[in-house]
Amino acid sequence: MNLLPQKESAPKSHVELLYQAFQRKERIFRMNVGISWGVLLLILVFLFSGQEWTLAGIPFKTIKVDSEFIRANMVFIAGGIGETIKISILSIMLAIFLALMAALGRLSRFPPFYALSTFYVSLIRGTPLYLQIFFFFLALPQLGIILPGLWAGVLALGLNYGAYMSEVFRAGISSVGKGQREAAIALGMTNGQLMRRIVLPQALRFAIPPMGNDFIAMTKDSALVAATGFVHELMWRAVKVGRAQFHNLEALIMAAIFYWVMTLFLTAIQSRIEARLSKGDR
Amino acid sequence: MSAPIIKLTNLKKYFGRLEVLKGIDLEVQPREVVCVIGRSGSGKSTMLRCINFLEEPSEGTIEIHGLVIPAGGKGKEHQQLVHEARLVTGMVFQEFNLFPHMSILENVMEAPIIVKGMDHAKAKEIAEMNLARVGMLFKKDEYPLRISGGQKQRVAIARALAMEPKVMLFDEPTSALDPELIGEVLEVMKGLAKEGTTMLVVTHEMEFAREVADRIVVMNEGELIEQGKPEDILNHPQHEQTQALLDRYRTGKK
Ligand SMILES: Nc1ncnc2c1ncn2[C@@H]1O[C@H](COP(=O)(O)OP(=O)(O)OP(=O)(O)O)[C@@H](O)[C@H]1O
Ligand SMILES: [Mg+2]
Repeated sequence: MNLLPQKESAPKSHVELLYQAFQRKERIFRMNVGISWGVLLLILVFLFSGQEWTLAGIPFKTIKVDSEFIRANMVFIAGGIGETIKISILSIMLAIFLALMAALGRLSRFPPFYALSTFYVSLIRGTPLYLQIFFFFLALPQLGIILPGLWAGVLALGLNYGAYMSEVFRAGISSVGKGQREAAIALGMTNGQLMRRIVLPQALRFAIPPMGNDFIAMTKDSALVAATGFVHELMWRAVKVGRAQFHNLEALIMAAIFYWVMTLFLTAIQSRIEARLSKGDR
Repeated sequence: MSAPIIKLTNLKKYFGRLEVLKGIDLEVQPREVVCVIGRSGSGKSTMLRCINFLEEPSEGTIEIHGLVIPAGGKGKEHQQLVHEARLVTGMVFQEFNLFPHMSILENVMEAPIIVKGMDHAKAKEIAEMNLARVGMLFKKDEYPLRISGGQKQRVAIARALAMEPKVMLFDEPTSALDPELIGEVLEVMKGLAKEGTTMLVVTHEMEFAREVADRIVVMNEGELIEQGKPEDILNHPQHEQTQALLDRYRTGKK
């Protein structure tokens, strides 16, 4: 008989068990959410599946879409995705530049610069984006200024988003503590060096997640540019073929799917970037 | 005696109507270690911060390494003097203030490259030398978030040293540290003192002051009320406020 107690595998600590239970709960929750998403998606597809049946003598039918039309116009509408992304990227670049300038102006103690910044933000936030877009497409030509369609759109969207994003940048710059500035100044850095090397890199990191949100929002707001008829992006194409052949339903559904998939894709990229940022070297 | 590295003459500082420094006169000689003690709010930090113009002094004159800078100066010339004064002073803060977006090595290389225009290789060499001096070379590729408070402060010291200042200013360098991490920072500072670094140190560490300081100055309500050799100040304080301050340390309060 063996009197020595057999060593069992080390008992899991209480904390470890609690943590595992918590993780299991989280996993189950996420799985159920995933399943529910699938069900909702199926219902949506079913709604547009064109089924007909009778139940207890009452006829039912779901929405029927013209698959012939879809097949024929899919490529044409999808052809607008490139333009949508192009206008979004150009606009967000302009917006980032303007937002940075506006944020610096807002933090400046030089009155004209401060005034210019607050004036710009106030004007843009005080008027509808839709109006701003039409202004660039329709009002400027009256003054003899005719911009190519794409650039008019970029200008309008960039100016608009720049005004809203300036707040994010300002918060980012303010989030860099006084101690950081003092350390840099004590080392002999000038204000410009301090901004470029110490404050802005930290502020940008702070601003990346909200900037991602803005970019995703921009891909959809770029659809407003379609209304002017000069930029042949996703929305414009959908409306064009939908109207012409009286198949607005199919055309808009297709555009919606493209926008949605694009958003899902961009959101996935964004959460990757955010995970990277929050993990490492902050 | 040779020319002092720091000479403050009738230094005054107001914050609004509050007079925080009431006419300070102080000299620090080359290779001297001077510890500043005094109760909270007595103006120790303000005095230190006036020396490198993190605070603009209100009245008086600041001389650093031959630069004579009167308070209240304006314009390009004054700015240039201030800049030069910052180049010859290194400062270590209570809160370390390392740059979180740069590695340890980059933290130390940054100012020599950006401010002095040093080339990358030379800056790296100097940075590594100074990190070795504070015993932090082994963490050079880490980021500040990943090292302990004591290690951060040692890196902050190396960062200041890399600019090769004529005098180091320390503002309570161990006050933000857990007790078990204070020793390593004080060891580094002792090493610097032994090498002959000129240092002006605001501290609550009386044992450090006794051991390392050539001179202790006592501040009270914006004035220097007493100064002398550590053993004189700590064993035979002349001023009743100094006595009260030391009693408070002995009972373990600030
Ligand atoms: N930026 C400021 N604005 C207004 N008052 C200030 C400012 N900085 C310091 N003071 C005041 O000046 C006085 C001296 O402050 P200082 O920080 O120099 O004291 P200290 O001796 O370093 O104290 P501690 O030991 O707490 O660090 C305090 O009354 C403080 O409230
Ligand atoms: Mg202080």
